[in-house]
Amino acid sequence: MSEISRRNLLKAATATGALAGIGGFSALSHILNPLLSSNSDDLSPFQPPSSSEIDDATHIIQRLTFGPRPAQHAEVTKLGPRQFIAQQLNPTSIPDRSTDLRAARYEALRANPPGELLEYDARELLDQLTRDKILRATHSKRQLHEVMVDFWSDHFNIDPSKGDSRWLKPIDDREVIRAHALGSFPEMLKASLLSPSMLWYLDGRVNRRANETERPNENHARELLELHTMGVHGGYTQQDVMEVARCLTGWTVRERAKSGFAVGKVEFRKDLHDDGPKLVLGTHIPAGLGPADLDRIIEIISLHPSTAHYLAEKLCRRFIADDPPQSAIDSVASAFTRSNGSIRETLTKLFDTPEFWSHRGAKIKRPFHFVISTLRATAAHSDGGPALQNHLLRLGQAPFQFPTPDGYPEEATPWMATLLWRWRFAMEFSSQSIKGTRFSPTKLLRAAGGENQLAAHLLGRTPSQDESSAAITSGAPLALCLASPAFQTF
Amino acid sequence: MESPVTTYLGDSRDSTGTLVVIFLRGGADGLNMVIPHGDDLYYAARPGIGIKRPDLIDLDGFFGLNPHLKPLHPWWRSGDLSIIHCAGSEDESRSHFEAQDYMEHGGLAAGGWLGRFLRARPDAGQSPLTAVAIGATLPEALRGAPSSAAIQSLEEFGLGPNVPPGFLKSLAALYQNAPRELGPAGRNALAALERIQQLTTTRTPPANGAIYQPDSFSNGLRQIATLIKARVGLQAATIDLGGWDSHLTQSVIMDPPMQRLASGLHALATDLGPSELSRTQIIVMTEFGRRVAENSAAGTDHGRGGVMFLLGGGIKGGSVHVNWPDLAHQLAGPGDLPVLNNYRNILAPILTRQAPTTNLSTVFPNHPLTPLPLYS
Repeated sequence: MSEISRRNLLKAATATGALAGIGGFSALSHILNPLLSSNSDDLSPFQPPSSSEIDDATHIIQRLTFGPRPAQHAEVTKLGPRQFIAQQLNPTSIPDRSTDLRAARYEALRANPPGELLEYDARELLDQLTRDKILRATHSKRQLHEVMVDFWSDHFNIDPSKGDSRWLKPIDDREVIRAHALGSFPEMLKASLLSPSMLWYLDGRVNRRANETERPNENHARELLELHTMGVHGGYTQQDVMEVARCLTGWTVRERAKSGFAVGKVEFRKDLHDDGPKLVLGTHIPAGLGPADLDRIIEIISLHPSTAHYLAEKLCRRFIADDPPQSAIDSVASAFTRSNGSIRETLTKLFDTPEFWSHRGAKIKRPFHFVISTLRATAAHSDGGPALQNHLLRLGQAPFQFPTPDGYPEEATPWMATLLWRWRFAMEFSSQSIKGTRFSPTKLLRAAGGENQLAAHLLGRTPSQDESSAAITSGAPLALCLASPAFQTF
Repeated sequence: MESPVTTYLGDSRDSTGTLVVIFLRGGADGLNMVIPHGDDLYYAARPGIGIKRPDLIDLDGFFGLNPHLKPLHPWWRSGDLSIIHCAGSEDESRSHFEAQDYMEHGGLAAGGWLGRFLRARPDAGQSPLTAVAIGATLPEALRGAPSSAAIQSLEEFGLGPNVPPGFLKSLAALYQNAPRELGPAGRNALAALERIQQLTTTRTPPANGAIYQPDSFSNGLRQIATLIKARVGLQAATIDLGGWDSHLTQSVIMDPPMQRLASGLHALATDLGPSELSRTQIIVMTEFGRRVAENSAAGTDHGRGGVMFLLGGGIKGGSVHVNWPDLAHQLAGPGDLPVLNNYRNILAPILTRQAPTTNLSTVFPNHPLTPLPLYS
């Protein structure tokens, strides 16, 4: 090759739809994508919100989902907001077969055993993960589950661009994040600790102590305490970090570079484990427990009061306010503790706090939320492909691409500079200029019953005088509503 | 809470400087760009393709510039250009893909070094146009940036071609009274849009008599200069220049990109002028250099140490940073220039200059830094 340019290689591969290493099936699925996403949601006339304030139904939809779909306000009003919450907390009770069928095309994400993922081009895997996330966030009826998947994806953030993580992140998405999103936190934590992708990302795979001279790699232990459980002010010491690191020595991952067999398999290597006695947060762990050290760690930290408080605060920040009231954090934390870390029970309590009901419309949507809420509000169909992903990149929130372990920030400030690209998205979307993303403006307008009603649907309340007149003078009312301050909030 | 967003584009000037990262893809032969003409072993290793003493432009009595890089010479003399020899990473794969990937990620790390830097700097994510990559796709170095756009032309900024005349005014009316952070953020975005619109409607010619050649690299640099001069808050811009993989008949292959690089850099620095250049850090890097000895086809094979150029940004230029190795005894692997200056130690002081309080351990994890003294 006279000129090697990765970029050119990539371009050529994309153009022919034949990225090296993709099986015929997935190449075919790319061709089928637009066909499969033909319109099946009907846009029959619906009743948008009629209050000038954010009412209960709007509030609940905005906080528990990625934004209202056309008839959803009327449905939730009829069902009752509390009943809707109860349903969403039990996702398996909500039929969602059509979403699963749509997502079936992303067959790489179901690869098993992990080694099978190695047969794919890593870029193809990231693309399928991203499309799957976009599709489920947009169409799944188990919206709270998807919102929590998003939450945990940041909490247990992995940027799969490091080492074999490139191939192994789909396993983490499936077996850590999605499997436990509304389940048991201690179980989720264990799954994460043994996730091959996480062991790569936080260097757990090279945390070993084969002899006295070797020093454990503390990276995973530190992030485990600081980000995954107790929080940076959770009361642990550097000594605790080192002791936790010792407990976690010996968990290795079969590497692509070293073996073609069972790549991605997580194995406990007794010879690399420090089996001496340890002292973690005041609790003695006797010598000789081997792999069970990991279970002891989970017992000690997963339900620790600092963990309860740290998780409660993060959940309250997501569902109540960037600066959540202490009273809410306290009651959510005690629900977490009482339920032995049941995420469902913890959220049940959160959605029952007066603070949750009283804080309305003051959170700023993150870019992914903004984009998905646009697709949902307009009953749009998107292939989640390069054009839409490019918008997410410009908006600074392409899924699975946050580099450091702390995940995309939840609070508003870091996102305030994304407005320009949000407006651009609003403009391109409403003028049908995003390749692979389509909606039906005339049907939508007719179903809403007019411009003002459509605005009420998008804003979650009837538009103010200023909003109505701005929409008229803008020359592009839909784009203006999507670009407006109110649509950035939830 | 008062948002720090308020003052970002508050006055007519943004406060930030810009990093311009030029990646020479394909492994540029540093030895034939900045030639150790004082070292006879160089000529012994390259009897055919070595740049003869009468042809090169002497820099300091030991090193000389390839004649195709002549446009860079005035910048050397004015002290705006610094050269780092034997620069590179610890990656030993000698594979373009692996070495680029390793360098752009900053080692075995998630995300790109530039992306992490833009996240880690104290004013992260406040600029409406944090980073652009000139080209079709984003380079790995920018991965994880707070916001980054791959663009081919300035028209891709702004709200696009479909904006009705009254749209911005209506937006402004709504953001005028928007609550909390949304108000100032909206006004910042509108200010940036206004500046971009001026750029695309009035095509100002390059300043100071700068002449950009009609190749795509120079054209990309011209767009970058336009954005820098418009002060839209651009913190980083990346652009690639390919064509350096010179396994055979090296000068035929490498001379044209060298000419493009030198004329492009010259035009960019001229166009920016002294005041803008002083707040713009231009970095030229490549994934690795070439083997010291020429091969039988008058070319060079993949090596280790290469050369990096730094231009502008208040750098103390006019010197070649390197402890020149003994080419008889200090070569790496199969006969490559060793890496004596880890690229992180070159980038670190530049990033510190750009955003002084940034924690560089998150930008370059697992690597103790020994920053090179680039600013005197």
